[in-house]
Amino acid sequence: MKSALLTSIALLTLSSFAAAQTDSPASGPPATEAPATQTVAPEPSVPVEEGLAAWDTVYAVASHPRCANCHVGPDNIPVWSGPSYGARQPHGMHVSGGESRIGAEFIQCQTCHMETQTGEPHAAPGAPEWHLAPVEQQWIDKSSAEICHQFKDPARNGGRSLEEMALHVRDDKLVAWGWKPGGNREPAPGSAEETYQAIETWAAAGAPCPDS
Amino acid sequence: MELRVNDTIHQVDVEPDMPLLWVLRDELGITGPKYGCGIAQCGACTVHVDGMAVRACQMPVSEAAGSDIVTIEGLGTPDSLHAVQEAWIEHQVAQCGYCQSGQIMQAASFLDLHPEPTDEDIDRAMSANLCRCGTYPRIRAAIHAAAGKLRSA
Repeated sequence: MKSALLTSIALLTLSSFAAAQTDSPASGPPATEAPATQTVAPEPSVPVEEGLAAWDTVYAVASHPRCANCHVGPDNIPVWSGPSYGARQPHGMHVSGGESRIGAEFIQCQTCHMETQTGEPHAAPGAPEWHLAPVEQQWIDKSSAEICHQFKDPARNGGRSLEEMALHVRDDKLVAWGWKPGGNREPAPGSAEETYQAIETWAAAGAPCPDS
Repeated sequence: MELRVNDTIHQVDVEPDMPLLWVLRDELGITGPKYGCGIAQCGACTVHVDGMAVRACQMPVSEAAGSDIVTIEGLGTPDSLHAVQEAWIEHQVAQCGYCQSGQIMQAASFLDLHPEPTDEDIDRAMSANLCRCGTYPRIRAAIHAAAGKLRSA
């Protein structure tokens, strides 16, 4: 069952990838390079309604403070928000991730955020390669529709296919911190595996996006 | 576990999750890096690990093994001060002095990458190093002076 699902997803990823290119036609491979059989998109194996419901699961994670606080916009300033912080505020210490998004222009994120987490109350949390997400992956203050279109656009998602996005969310160690943030921080909803499965379902439905 | 600190190799028998600051101070007797908060909120414990400023209170010693660790004791010598140390003396930055080794290590690392910082750059880079004496204006002036020294060196 699972292998069949993966095969379907692999095939559908091709169609989803092609669909995603409509968001950014300049970033895709020339049409002449694609085999003729790939130009005909197979029917989604999952109903669109189910795909949209799966996307809601993904959006709940993407919009959660554990993820969105570091998926910030061009001001490059991480945010402290979420139930454990009270009112939303800029990251303390006047820090900025800079255009490098790793703090290289001022003070590196990894000056305080180590690979491992001490677990001390109020200490800086830790995970490998602590940094801001690229600016084109801004999630904070973005709608579900905006994040959805961004999520499947290789020009804005790090050049990833939908399958690669799913694997990135499941396997990346910094992403994984969002579900085990330590201290009294509220973790992102669900789990890495559940979010991976939701992305797979969404992709199998043709990666539909909500209207807003 | 083998640690390279200020160009000297040390053998230490400690738990891998012991903070680097504890190892430096309590195992090796290198007391320039100071304990301030223990949670990366003050910067008093700042050292360099492979050239990058790091809060030694947060780094498990196992993460530092195999790296080149420099503390304030290894940044310069009394006969050959680092430019930041020279500028610190010229501007008489220190008052109580407790935070100053962390301030100097942070500033030295920052200037390695930014030879001509603006006031805003300095404020962004140094605001995570706290000074209860309020020496911030002199810290900023000394960093500008040190930057000039490094550019003309």
